[in-house]
Amino acid sequence: MSYYDIDAILTDAQKVPCTFNLNLPQLGYLDSAPGRPLPNGTKVDLPLWLAERLAVSQLTPNTSLITLDLPPSLSPRVMNALKADPKSVDLRSLAANFYGLAERILELFEEEDVCDVLLETWRVRAGEVGDHAVSTGAGAKGGGGAGGGEGVEFLRGLSEEEREIFRRAHDSSKAMRVWMGEMKKK
Amino acid sequence: MALPLQAGLTPMEVAFLCEMEMVTVVPRQRLESLNLLSGPTPILRPPHRAPIPLWLALLLKRQRRANILPPPWLLSSSLERILKYETETSPLAFSPPPPHPHPVTSRSSPTDFVSPPFLPSSTADAPPDYLPYHWLELGEIFLEAASDDVPEQDRVRGLLRDLREVRMSKMRGSIKGLEGEGGGVSKMTGVGAMEVAEGRGYIVGVLDGLRRLGSSREVARREREAEEGGEGSEDEEMGFE
Repeated sequence: MSYYDIDAILTDAQKVPCTFNLNLPQLGYLDSAPGRPLPNGTKVDLPLWLAERLAVSQLTPNTSLITLDLPPSLSPRVMNALKADPKSVDLRSLAANFYGLAERILELFEEEDVCDVLLETWRVRAGEVGDHAVSTGAGAKGGGGAGGGEGVEFLRGLSEEEREIFRRAHDSSKAMRVWMGEMKKK
Repeated sequence: MALPLQAGLTPMEVAFLCEMEMVTVVPRQRLESLNLLSGPTPILRPPHRAPIPLWLALLLKRQRRANILPPPWLLSSSLERILKYETETSPLAFSPPPPHPHPVTSRSSPTDFVSPPFLPSSTADAPPDYLPYHWLELGEIFLEAASDDVPEQDRVRGLLRDLREVRMSKMRGSIKGLEGEGGGVSKMTGVGAMEVAEGRGYIVGVLDGLRRLGSSREVARREREAEEGGEGSEDEEMGFE
């Protein structure tokens, strides 16, 4: 991951729920109470880059500054939905960089089940994305514009990583068609 | 990263590389031997067949100085058998590449390492029923530049399209069939150059996604193994998730 990778930056900016383990003076504006101290035990959504730092820095040997919770996009409810049918879940509405977020969260939590579900989800959805990338291109050649009716819903729910896969598959099959078309003209 | 170039080759580059393949021509005019970097070409005497590189053959063909003989696997009967193999005999794996012309034995010889671009897989005496490394681009080039030399060209064209569809969907299907752990990478034996170029971006992207999602588990396992003090299996665990 590069320093200037825009997807990495956006992933870092996604919010995760945290609970503070101490009183913080003057930080009440985080919980929409400006000017007051932030009491112990307040739940606040913090961006991932900040939460990660705070979660690993320790207050006393046994407690850290904040406690991280699983973000709602990786909650058991979502996991169950993904287990039932990976293709029907709108990942984009959960988190634009869903897999990036999941990857970072998995580094912090040891969640074997979540890891399994996510690997399976990625595989199934990537296969589906590949099929769509090729068929959409074929349709666009004839009709112009994004073809395909039933796939639109699925494609709209792709996360940023899946869109990248789609783009790659689509570009390479398009390059192939262009080459074959050029052969015809000669 | 800074270069906007993608990894791998574009279809045009693959087609360019394909022009190094040797093909058999039947010359219509005499041509003395040419001293090329790859060695002298055979002297072309009208009724005798001669193997020359595809680019030279295309040049002579365009000037109507030679006819190109299609390789045996490009005939419709051979392509039909390959298509049948792809769809019925082995609906999951790709049809095998042509057998190595020099038998590989336990005694090592220099021919053991000669690989498809340097093996004459598209001359008139190449084995039928096997798709060589450059099958797709060679077939396309043949149908464009020397279509009058290919018998039943419409049939051949259709069969090439069918084969491409079948094999590309196999390639995408191999992603779905990948196992999360321990399943390894799908088998790619027999895949042609153009198919690699077309599938590369997508397959590499998917595998990279799998790797990144599984990386936390990989790290955990490495740590566990390091704690157990076993350096033993470190190396063989380098494979994909």
